[in-house]
Amino acid sequence: MRAGIALLLCAASGLAQGADLRMTVSDGSNQPVADAIVYATALNPPAPVEHKASIDQVNRRFVPRVSVIQTGTAVTFPNSDNIRHSVYSFSRPRTFTLKLYAGTPASPVVFDQPGIVVLGCNIHDTMVAWVLVVDTAFFARTAADGSASLPGLPPGDYLLRAWNNSMSDEQPGEALHVGSEALSPRHLHVDGQALEVQP
Amino acid sequence: MRLNTLRSKMVVFLVVLLGIIQIGVFTLVNSATTRAARIKIDDELVVGEKVFASELNQNAERLAQAATVLASDFAFREAIATGDHGTMDSALENHGARVKAAAVLFVNLQGVVIDDTLRRGAESRPFEYPSLIERAKNAGRATAIELLDEQVLQLVAVPVQAPLTIGWIVIGFPVDQLLATELRNITGLQVSFVTEDKGLWHIQASTLDEDLSRALAARLPPYDEALRTRVLAMPEQHQLRVVPIGDSGEQHFVAVLQRPINDAMGSFRALSAKLVAMGVLSLLLLIGGSILIAVGITRPIDALLQAVRRIRRGDYSMPIDMHRGDEIGILAQGLDHMRAGIAEREQQILKLAYEDSLTQLPNRSQFGERLQREILLAAAEQRTLSIFVMDLDRFKFVNDTLGHSVGDHVLSEVAARLRNLMSEGDCVARLGGDEFAVLMLTGEQERSVDLARSIITALEQPIDFAGQPLDVGASIGIALYPAHASDAQTLLRNADIAMYVAKRNRTGYTIYDPRYDTSQQEHLSLLGELRRAVEQNELRLYYQPKVTLSSAGIHAAEALIRWVHPVRGLVPPGLFIPFAEHTGYIKMLTRWVLTEAIRQCGVWLRQQMHIEISVNLSARDLMTRDLPELISGLLAEHEVPAGMICLEITESGFMEDPTHAQRVLDRLSAIGLRLSIDDYGTGYSSLSYIMKLPVNELKIDRAFVSNMSEDADMMTIVRSTIELGHNLGLKVVAEGIEDSKAYALLRGLGCDFAQGYYISPPMAAEALPDWLNGSVTMRRPPRALLEAAQAESLSPSGDETILSAAS
Repeated sequence: MRAGIALLLCAASGLAQGADLRMTVSDGSNQPVADAIVYATALNPPAPVEHKASIDQVNRRFVPRVSVIQTGTAVTFPNSDNIRHSVYSFSRPRTFTLKLYAGTPASPVVFDQPGIVVLGCNIHDTMVAWVLVVDTAFFARTAADGSASLPGLPPGDYLLRAWNNSMSDEQPGEALHVGSEALSPRHLHVDGQALEVQP
Repeated sequence: MRLNTLRSKMVVFLVVLLGIIQIGVFTLVNSATTRAARIKIDDELVVGEKVFASELNQNAERLAQAATVLASDFAFREAIATGDHGTMDSALENHGARVKAAAVLFVNLQGVVIDDTLRRGAESRPFEYPSLIERAKNAGRATAIELLDEQVLQLVAVPVQAPLTIGWIVIGFPVDQLLATELRNITGLQVSFVTEDKGLWHIQASTLDEDLSRALAARLPPYDEALRTRVLAMPEQHQLRVVPIGDSGEQHFVAVLQRPINDAMGSFRALSAKLVAMGVLSLLLLIGGSILIAVGITRPIDALLQAVRRIRRGDYSMPIDMHRGDEIGILAQGLDHMRAGIAEREQQILKLAYEDSLTQLPNRSQFGERLQREILLAAAEQRTLSIFVMDLDRFKFVNDTLGHSVGDHVLSEVAARLRNLMSEGDCVARLGGDEFAVLMLTGEQERSVDLARSIITALEQPIDFAGQPLDVGASIGIALYPAHASDAQTLLRNADIAMYVAKRNRTGYTIYDPRYDTSQQEHLSLLGELRRAVEQNELRLYYQPKVTLSSAGIHAAEALIRWVHPVRGLVPPGLFIPFAEHTGYIKMLTRWVLTEAIRQCGVWLRQQMHIEISVNLSARDLMTRDLPELISGLLAEHEVPAGMICLEITESGFMEDPTHAQRVLDRLSAIGLRLSIDDYGTGYSSLSYIMKLPVNELKIDRAFVSNMSEDADMMTIVRSTIELGHNLGLKVVAEGIEDSKAYALLRGLGCDFAQGYYISPPMAAEALPDWLNGSVTMRRPPRALLEAAQAESLSPSGDETILSAAS
């Protein structure tokens, strides 16, 4: 999975001519928030890109628990446990149910609508994973100190937003104009600390 | 059963005692059980309350689990999470029905009711009980009893997870009759679910019947007070607990747990009833038992009591037969010994009382009783009876001279002879001393006389004692019933009188004649009059002079009593002296005579008249212990020398009790009194005996003197008596001299003194001096007497002495 994200980051860094945006994310009490997703969506979004991602199930946990993918990404749900799982989503952007299975299912699930998708396992109620489906390739995950950066943003107008899994909806976001000049660091807020679902 | 008997006292005591104990025990047990019962009910209620609360919780838990299971159903979640209103609606209804829910609501995360099976199609609204959701957020689920659409519901809120919580399913289960019944079955208490709204109670569901439900709603106090209420009259007493189970704004939901006190008291009541029954039973047993014991004790006591009553009545014949080892047995034994002892002693006493121990003849008492019985019988059968009273002659003499053992022998022999003469049915008794009595069952005079003669004949045979013949005769008095008296006492007395007559006349036997006796009435009045005579000085002493034959001088006189009766005139001594002797009144008379005679003697002495005065003493007087003292006192009082007084005693006077008579005479003689034997020759006294007595003179009985002029034998007796007297050194007095011939003869025979009508009849004391002076015309004044004597007698004697004496 980490390989997947690395791939995504590589893809982003491929657009090297853009500006770099550095940001920090904090919560309501000004504490830095780790594992928040920051993403900048172009106001004129490009056509969906066929990407591939994977969310594993290890020791009755989804790994990674929080993912961010570009709209149109096909996600596979390999099962690394020796028990079977039945992954489902009742979330509007993508509702699906994978019947009990072991190993990797034949076909991935394509998330073709932006939005928040909460994944669960029908057998194991404690297994939860969040998938943020965004219409952009520019997104990042905050570090422990709440910092993240979006490098190489092509000039243009963007909507800059932050989210973590404690939030049930996306924020309205703030306007970001990328021109020729360097971008000053931004400070973003999310509602709360990232959720840790207890096993 | 009388209350004062030992038995009833014991029974009552025991019964009252046990009754008190029973009542005490019952009261203790009853109060203890009542307290225990109340505590038990209370405990039951407390336990019931706990069980109820636990059951209610468990119920909620079950419901919550059911709700949780429902909420985690994938299809249900899918329908909720993804479905439209219609789908959601049908899912709620469908799944609600699965868990028998009364209502199912879906509340979103914002607390808004999205769907509601109770109000389908209604506007969405905020959920009424957000706190329930809040609690469910924290605990995963929450339950509460709340009112929803007028229904009391157990609400359970559980999250719907997809997989994150997207909202809340609230499922309402009915709090209804079914639940109440279940809870009642578990707790054993009546369960009612009640709501309170503005002070009014509404029964939502109850296991009580309708009436009680209504009563409960009506009687429950306001909420706060209801929570503390433990007992409620509805109207039967119920113990209860009001358990709050939920609040909804103004409204309160409670469960009322209750139980009629009587239900719980039931077992205790049964115990009480058993206790009472046992008490009554034991009381009855005790009454029976104590009666048995009491009877066991008192029956022998009753028997003893009856025995004692018999003994008290004088019936000693029945032995007290009671063989028991206990105290009563010992008591009975003692009583029986007493009974036997009393019986034996009574026999002895009867014997002593009714039988003469010497002769084994009936005694006076028995004879008297027998006589009375026979008189009654004879009166009833018109029969006649006769009785004898017999007195032995000369017995006293035998007894005194030969000793009592001889006397006893004589009496026994007499008794034996009498017994031999008795016919069938006759009775002989010893009245006392030498006096016997005979009862004949016939009053025919001839047969009585025959028997009397036989007795006299039988007793004429001398009685042999140690080879020595003893001669005792008897005098018998006969009285006939009903001729002489109609009662025993008078009959005896009359026989007695007849016996005295026989004795006096020496006729052997005499049949009673009323002439012998003045009537009883007359006797009594005579006694009274005699007393009065002494008191009122109706008695007089007359003096008959004694002439000294040798000198014709008068030196002595015999004092003779006279009774000048205010009505009858002069009463002769023969009429009252024997009676006075018989009654013992003679002692009073003698005392009076002695007093008067000595006084008179003193008077004359002071007038220079030396007249020696003789006083007659009776046999009874000799029995008077203080006679010598009395006489000495009188002599001293009137200054009379003892030698001036001479006491005349008849032979029979001392023959009755010679020993005693001798003692008295010795004492009288010691004083210096002169003693004379009166009526000498009539008795049977032996000269040897008389010689022992301290007498000074012999007085020849008038029977010899008055007849001696014609009867040569009498003359011989008189002469030999005079000689005998003189030989013994005694003066000899002759009385009853009625003519000059006798006077002269006596003078010739050497007799010392003469007394009689020829000389002078008795005269009053006042007359004596004149008679001595010759100034009064009497039959023979002294001077004339002297002359006559001189004329008739050839032997002259000293004249001067007479003159000097007369002067």
